[in-house]
This record gives sequence, C-alpha cells and structure tokens, in this order.
Amino acid sequence: MAQPAAETEFTLDTAAELAAEESAAVIRGRSPWYLAWRRLRRNYVAFAFLGLFVLIVAACLLAPFYAHHVAHTGPNNTHVLDQITVHGKKLDVVSKGGVLGGKLVASTPVGPQWFAAGGKYMLGADTLGRDIAVRLLYGGRTSLFVGIVSSLICVVAATILALLAGFYGGWLDFVITRFFDLFYAFPVILLGIALGAALAINGINWGPIKVHSGNILIPTLIISYVLIPYVGRPLRGQVLSLRQKEFVEAAIAQGAGPLRIMFTELLPNVASSILVFFTLIIANNIVLEAALSFLGAGVQPPTASWGTLISDAQSLIVTRPWFAVMPGIAIVLTVLALNVFGDGLRDALDPRAKVKVEH
Amino acid sequence: MRRRQRWTWLLSVGALVVGFALLAAACGSKSSNANKNTNTAGTQGTGGGTAQNKPFANFRIAYDTGIDFLDPGLSYTVEGWAIMWNVYLPLVGYKHVNGPDGATIVPYLAKSLPTVSADGKTYSLTLRKGLKYSDGTPVKASDFRASIERDYKVDSPGVGFFSNIVGADAFSKTKKGHITGITTNDSTGAITIKLTQPQGDFQNILGTTFAALIPAATPAKDQSTHPAPSTGPYMIQSYKPNRSAVVVRNPQWKSNKGTGITEVPNGNPDKMTFDILGDPGVALTRTLKGQDDYDFQQPPPDRLGTLQSKYSNQTKVYTPANTYYFFMNTRMKPFNDVRVRQAVNYAINRQALVRIYGGLANPTENILPPTYPQYQKHTLYPYNLKKAKQLIAQAGVKGMSLTVWNHDRGQDPKATAYLTDVLNSLGFKAKEKIINSSVYWTTIGNQATKAQIGFADWFQDYPHPLDWFDVLLNGTRITQTHNNNYSNFDDKAINAKIAALKKQTKLSSSVNDQWKALDKQVMQQAAWAPFINRQFVDTFNSDIDLGCYINHVLYQFDFATICHK
Repeated sequence: MAQPAAETEFTLDTAAELAAEESAAVIRGRSPWYLAWRRLRRNYVAFAFLGLFVLIVAACLLAPFYAHHVAHTGPNNTHVLDQITVHGKKLDVVSKGGVLGGKLVASTPVGPQWFAAGGKYMLGADTLGRDIAVRLLYGGRTSLFVGIVSSLICVVAATILALLAGFYGGWLDFVITRFFDLFYAFPVILLGIALGAALAINGINWGPIKVHSGNILIPTLIISYVLIPYVGRPLRGQVLSLRQKEFVEAAIAQGAGPLRIMFTELLPNVASSILVFFTLIIANNIVLEAALSFLGAGVQPPTASWGTLISDAQSLIVTRPWFAVMPGIAIVLTVLALNVFGDGLRDALDPRAKVKVEH
Repeated sequence: MRRRQRWTWLLSVGALVVGFALLAAACGSKSSNANKNTNTAGTQGTGGGTAQNKPFANFRIAYDTGIDFLDPGLSYTVEGWAIMWNVYLPLVGYKHVNGPDGATIVPYLAKSLPTVSADGKTYSLTLRKGLKYSDGTPVKASDFRASIERDYKVDSPGVGFFSNIVGADAFSKTKKGHITGITTNDSTGAITIKLTQPQGDFQNILGTTFAALIPAATPAKDQSTHPAPSTGPYMIQSYKPNRSAVVVRNPQWKSNKGTGITEVPNGNPDKMTFDILGDPGVALTRTLKGQDDYDFQQPPPDRLGTLQSKYSNQTKVYTPANTYYFFMNTRMKPFNDVRVRQAVNYAINRQALVRIYGGLANPTENILPPTYPQYQKHTLYPYNLKKAKQLIAQAGVKGMSLTVWNHDRGQDPKATAYLTDVLNSLGFKAKEKIINSSVYWTTIGNQATKAQIGFADWFQDYPHPLDWFDVLLNGTRITQTHNNNYSNFDDKAINAKIAALKKQTKLSSSVNDQWKALDKQVMQQAAWAPFINRQFVDTFNSDIDLGCYINHVLYQFDFATICHK
C-alpha cells in the first residue's frame, strides 16, 4: 500500500486521512485510541525517548544484580578503610588526610575507576567509601518509585476531585476549587519543604495510619499532595465543559446515576488528558523529589536517591565534581525522556490539546 | 557545651535540575593567592600582636547555623558562648590568652576572686562599683541572684550547675521567692553564696555564661532576638536566626573598664557581623575571596590540600578539649544491656571515623580528652566485630529495630551513617533520623523523645573533670528536658564516686588518679561509645594579621582580639 506524503506529520493525521489509506473494501470504524496509537507510533522521537526511559528503568531495576555480582557491595555499605587494587597497586578507597607531616592533606575518596578495579567503584566512592555507581542505580529506584507512585496518587486524587467538582458544581465545586486555590497560593517547593521538614521529624501518626519518619512514603505522599491542584484544576475545567454536552444530558434522561455518569460518560472523555498528565507529572515529580531530598526534606539518609546523591556530593564538589553531575545527568535524561514522550502522547491523543504541568 | 559544625541546606534548587551548574560553581572560584608557607599545626603562639590598635570597622565572620540561643541563660553551644563571651560578663572569668594560661580564673565584674570559707561552703564576692549595663542602667549585686533565678525560670540547661546552692532545689520546684543561699547587698555590692557541700568546680561555674549578670527585670523568656543589655566590651545589636547576628561596641564599656576590669580586653573590631551560612564550602570560598574575614566552619576535607598549597599562612589548626561520642540510652532496649553497649564499642572502627572526619581527629575510647591531666589512655575496646557479634548474640537482641539520631550539619551525619551500617552488620535493623541542627540537642535531651542511640559531642565549659562526669554522666542530674546525660547513665557506684570527687577542692595527683580510674570504670560500663578527639582549622582571609590570633582553651578563637595587617 502506498504511503501518503503527509504520513510523518503525525499531528495532522486525521481519521479521514487514515481512512483514505484503507481500500474501500475494508473500511472499518476506528476507535479514538486506535487512531491515537497510529499517530503515536509514527512519532519516532517520542518512541526513542520512551526507549531511553525504559532503559533507565531497567538499569535501576537491575541494581541488586549489579551490586551483588559486579560491585560486590550494597548501597549503604561503608568501606572507609578498604583498599582496592588498580593496575597492581593498592589504593585507599578514602585517602588519609588531616595534618600529616605538619601539613594539611586532603582526604579524598577514589574517583571513577571504570573497569580498572574489577567493576568496583566504577564511578568512584563517596567519603564513606560507598560505591557511587551502586548508589546511583539504587537512587534511581527510589527516585522513580517516588516519581511514579506520587504521580499515580496525585492523578487519582485530582481526577476524583475534578469529577466531583465538575459534575455536581454548586457548593461542592466551591469547596474543592478553594482547596485548589489554597495550594496554588504556596510555591510547590516551599510547601514541600514545610511538610517534608515537619514530617521528617515526626513521621505520620494519623490514628491508625502510622508512617515512620524515614519511610519513603512520606516524600511520596507530600509530592502527590502538593501537586493535586495542578492536575485537578484543568481537569475540573474539562469536566465542567463536558457536563453541558448532550450525551451527558441524554444519560441523565435515561436515568443514569451520578456515579455512572461520572465514571462511564465523563471519565472516558478526560482519560486522554489524565494519561498525558500522568506521564508529564512523573518527570515533574522526579525533579521535585530530587529538590526536596537535596534540601533535606525528602528522602532521608542513608537511603539513596538522585537528590540525596547530589546533596552528598556537595562536600566533594571541588575534587570530585562528577559525583554531583552524574545524578544530575540521570535526572536530566529521565525528565527529558518522559517529557518528550509525554508531549508525543499528548499530540497523539489530542493534537489540539494544550495539556501541560505548570506551577 | 556542644559544637555545632555546619549544615547542608543550600537554597539553590535550580542547580539540582541540571547538575551542571554545580560543576560550574566548582570551577568558578580560584584564588590567585599562592603563598606556599606552611602554618598549619599548632596554635599556641602568643596573642596580642602588633597591629592591635589599627582601626577595624567590621570583622565579618562566616558562621554556622549552630547558634541555639543568644540568651546567656539558655545558650549551651560553642557558637552561642563564643559570641557572648565578650558581651555578657560573669563575676569571674578567664584570661583572654593563648595556651593553658587561658584556664586561669580572674575577676571580671567582681573586685577580686571569691573568698572561700574554711569549710568550702561559703563563697563571698564584691561587685565593682560604678558598673553599668549597655543601656545605662546600673549593675546591682542583686542582679546576680536574679540572673541565677532566671536560669531556673527559663528552664536553662545550666541549672544543674547551681543545684548545690542552698535553697536552689526548693526554688527550682516553686520558682517563687528567692534562692535562700544567695544573699546580696546592692549598696555594698556584697554577694554571698552558700553551698550545701564543698564543690571543687564552683569557681569555674561562676565563670560560665549561665552566671553572667543581666538586669533583674529581664523577662524570663528567650531574649535572643531582643538581646538583654550587656556589661562587656560589646553588645548584641541584632540577631536574626539562621541569617545574621551583629555585635557592636558597648557604649558603657569605657566606664566599666574604668572600674578596674583589667583582664577583659577592649577588643579591636568596632563591629562584628556573623553571617550565618549553611554550607561550609560557601563559607570557605567567601572567606578566601574576602567577603568574610574568618571562616568559623570547618573546610570540607577535600579542600585541605588547596588550603595547604595556597592559603597555609591564613590557617590555624588547633585541638580543643573535646570528645565525640555515640550515646546509648541505658533506659531503653537494647542498650539497657551492658553487653550491647560494649558490642557497639567493639564494632566501631575508630580509625574509620577519623578518616570520615578528614583525618582531622585522633581516635579515643576515653571520656576525658588527652589535654586533661586526669587523662589516661585505655584500650578496652579494640576493633573486634566478631566479639561484638558474639555479645549481641548473647544478649539476644539481634533483629531489633533501632533509630540512630543525628543533626544535619558538617561531617557529623556521616558518622551516624557509618554507625548505622555497623549496627546493621551486627544484625540490627537500624535507621537514621537526621533532624535540623537547631532543634537537635533539645530534642534528644527531652525524655519524651526516647532517643535510643545517636551522635553527641562535648567541648569543655571549664577545665575540670566534673564538667564531663558530673554534667554528662551523673545519674542524679538526669532531667526530663534539657537533659545532658543523653545515655541516661545512672550507676549508683559511679554517682557516689562523682559526688565524693566533687567535694575535692584541689586536683591533687591522688585525686587525678581517682578521676583516671573513674574514666575507666565508666567505660567498662560502656556508657558511651567515644570515638574521636577532633582537630579544627581556622581559616582567615589574607587581610587578617594572625599575629593577633588568640585561641582560648575554652572559647577557642577570640573574635574580639583579632586585627588587620
């Protein structure tokens, strides 16, 4: 079958054009999801970045394998006094420092060894002799977990609030909208720091719900909480608009209850936006987690995350700047991958949509 | 008192996102000052250099975030005391000189040193006549009693020092009336203090900041941000927590000095500005670039080489009397079992901890630091992980959950990261709890916190073994809040020994031997896991004349005596 010239312009790939591709004999109805998939799969850039994201996730998931079989150490195992053999020479993992021979001598951990130390300290060690490469991979697991789970919680909560506000309107809409406004009033980072600092000391003790202060769920919940309005408010607008459509009135006329209307009529119509929000907000949340952890209000030590790795690297910024740069690169690549793929998804699902996360 | 080092907050979130910005920052600060002279180890030179009289408008200090309070009744950190030493004067104090002579007690606001009765229970002093606070109000003898009583009213961490005064215990319960053991006469300036029993370190206690005089009318609540009037050469002009503190000359000082206070210098800078900075790297860079004159914080270990090669004539290395240790709460499982405490002592490799502190430390197992004549090195707990594991197995506590406490500044969190790893290797399920440094000591000093194990350090308030054993390890001094005995160590035999030694008014060689034995006795009970005596580096910018540098045995670098080249 001949390919139309406009095929690479995936955003202009309308249902009519797609239908024209098919022979008259096999013309079939196509669902919006199928059409979106057709558009998306032609967006090679988006797919390439999706591949990059999958690679990053896979590498992080393989962290225990790498730690056990290659680096031979865990993410929190300290090796301050250990030595490694590099090209037949013994090398301190953390060099001696202090006042030696009447002179001040810097104490510095080993830098990247790549493969010179048999897989140990491939990216170097920190001041406690912990393997940076192992911590980078474990840190990625933490950052991705926080990013994905917090996005999931955020999107689910925001969708429910948006459906309630948009469908019922009135005082419920007023209350939910003011709740959104209240959170809008605070910069996300400051609100995150305030909540993170408070909960980092006390943990969560809300009746039967108890979360230890060092638990990774705390930054996860904080991040999902502070971003709810940024997803909920635009969704509420969409629901409000859909609420006036004929198909909703038809459903009401047929005697459908509020729950059925919300979840079978309205939700499918905002699903594409939710999906795009979910993708984009993961990237956003990974950055937010890194920021909060860097500031001491996110993931608590010794648990590694990309943010805590950058924070730990501060004290070595002069002699070992790569220790800060490497988790920085990991964050950049992950966020870039998710954003490019998210944009592609948005274009595929609704080329006219302007869904984006702003705060 | 506790040393507060540095804190890792840096409000630069943008750098996180790209990471590259951090690299740029690292490469952006190189100084051209390339003096190769070495001037590192040892600070015991002479103070009072040649440039003392040059005008010095503003001495700018890159401070850390460790100021707990700037209220003489409440502060109990090196950061707080270092500022207030030249601000709030007690009746007696210490010479502003380098070396061991700095431990000599001299009269400040009192005309002379106290006369002590034959039974050692009554101390008599006379306030100098004509003294005024910085706001112009006269200093009265009764202000001394009011200041001590205020310590009780504000729930000061220093009240334990005064519990031997007659009537102090009764006053601590009611906080009404007066402490009957302190009598004063405003017209003559006479001050008499009666003790329930002789106390060897009481003169030192009179020299602490807790005993400094402030007006009797000072409200019994934290005055850090509304500083009380001062009697010393300086007064606190402003304090903005976590931002800055400004100290300026006391307009009444000339008149106060005229009453005969010879041992307190006038001070060289007209003003001292304390820039409170969270990051030690930033503090060092600011100092080397001349934005600040002195870096109070400790340089990151990886920059010591640069300091040596380029700025060695701007640094001073010194070892104050200090002990860094891990406390273990003996009231809580599993540390109520001496075997577990001993296991921790066996399991920590003190050489590793020295390296964690960049090599600027010496390993120790003692309570007292080596600068004390009562110090006798003991090696009860050589590194032995196998033995530690055996002790844990015997105690049957394997698998227990532990929370390891620490604050969030300097190298200290790395010490607990190491400890946590060690505890996990012993079979515990240990997690760290790192909290903001400004609330750390009050948090772990509150019994309600139930802190199991964590980081602590101690810098002497005064050069006497009682400042270590009585303040930190005497079970009879355990308090509900502001507790300094973080291990809640309460051994009857040791308490009795401390009480007996407390009555000794002179530190003879036989008394010193008893202190040595007590040190060992405490460590046999493994009340703590001491690990290092730390060294420190003072860094100055190139405009400062280090000929004026005075490093005091208690207060460390004396800001007021510094001068320009």
